[in-house]
Amino acid sequence: MSPELESLSKSCQPFIPTIIAFCCNWCSYGAADLAGVNRTKYPTNLRIVRVMCSGMVHADMVINSLLKGADGVMVLGCHMGDCHYINGNEKAARRAEVIQEMLPDYGLEAQRFRIEWISAAEGGKFAQTAQEMTDLITKLGPNPFKKKGEEPDAC
Amino acid sequence: MPVRVLEEWFAGCGGCEVAILDMGEVLLDVLPELEFVYIPVLADSKFFGQDGNGKEMDYPHADVALISGSVRTKENWEAAKQIRARSKVLIALGSCAAFGGISALANLSTNREIYDAYYGASNNNDQAEIPELTTEEMLNKVYALNEVVEVDLILPGCSPTPASIAKAITALLKGEEFKLSEKSVCDTCPLERKSKWGLETKRPLASAQFTPGDYNKTRCLAEQGILCLGPVTRAGCAERLDGEAEVPGCIRAFMPCRGCWGPVHTYTTPMSNMLGALASIGADTSSIPDKKALFNRYIGAHGNLNNCGKG
Repeated sequence: MSPELESLSKSCQPFIPTIIAFCCNWCSYGAADLAGVNRTKYPTNLRIVRVMCSGMVHADMVINSLLKGADGVMVLGCHMGDCHYINGNEKAARRAEVIQEMLPDYGLEAQRFRIEWISAAEGGKFAQTAQEMTDLITKLGPNPFKKKGEEPDAC
Repeated sequence: MPVRVLEEWFAGCGGCEVAILDMGEVLLDVLPELEFVYIPVLADSKFFGQDGNGKEMDYPHADVALISGSVRTKENWEAAKQIRARSKVLIALGSCAAFGGISALANLSTNREIYDAYYGASNNNDQAEIPELTTEEMLNKVYALNEVVEVDLILPGCSPTPASIAKAITALLKGEEFKLSEKSVCDTCPLERKSKWGLETKRPLASAQFTPGDYNKTRCLAEQGILCLGPVTRAGCAERLDGEAEVPGCIRAFMPCRGCWGPVHTYTTPMSNMLGALASIGADTSSIPDKKALFNRYIGAHGNLNNCGKG
């Protein structure tokens, strides 16, 4: 293939977003497992990170993933009142507000972050959330922080 | 043979150079071992000569190069590249060179907005014409030194303490390793801690309640509801030349830490660190004004501050 054609075919490739999902060990990870066991179809661009509790996902982890080029980040935890550690998801909910407040300061859309409560019995909801998030991020386009290695330029 | 030292300032205020002089007697001890080959703060040097004979920028070769200030103009950028090529060790002196510093607050605006604000935009005067030939060509934003060239060592602080400069220089002369502290300002702060962070945030310049001179009896400023950047800022400002650890700079005057030593680790982001921690203890973060500039006051380069796609 000629270089021009190659670059053309590369630019024509559809944008497949990279989405990081922090799943809590007790509920959402179980939901992801259930979605798999049930053979429910959901997008493959999800990168699941198993954490013990959604309350341990610090704002820094979310911001850092976005600054390093993830297109979207989800934090998935237990329903309110169901937290294995009593109130971890309440902390996660409070942090989510701050994260969404902060994202525009970095020049990112607030929709790139989503928090959702999914119990271990809700495999369908997990697949649906993954699909919704992928559709949304595909519409928003790639993360502007993905471009790296730029030399400083004169204005 | 003395160590050849080159010192240059870019977009900065010159406070870092004063901090070098502030080393006092230590400076006298090390001076015989140093030979300043280029230092505009002390001796003027003209690349183009008195008669305009020189045609291009020509920095002397040096063993150690100290650069203060951020990279703002095209000339700064070219100079940084040449100094890097001609020196063995390059030190970014001060927060401007290390993280962008105060001058990187300009990253919140476009260059056009800066020109407009500087040459006009007053309510009383007409907009002055923006000179095109006499101003230096600016880069699209303010860069820290290590975004442009490789830097061997950073000495943060606004300005760096004479103690840290003295330590770094003596370590270099002896061929020892110099490392910055990896603790936070809170670790070196003597104020009394009783409970969690004050959940009600006071106005930024509200004064704290304090016992003059007695740091151990004064309650932690953050617990009093004053936003202090101590937890997310690198320790070091408490160090004195005589080796005795004292009170961190701003706390000495019962003012909250402003974060001039930059993040505790170079890879952390103070804004998300701090707000995440505040949110998880239930503090009201929406009442903190202008979070973006407040938490990134000294670290605006490295993409921490941007003008949100205005250009």
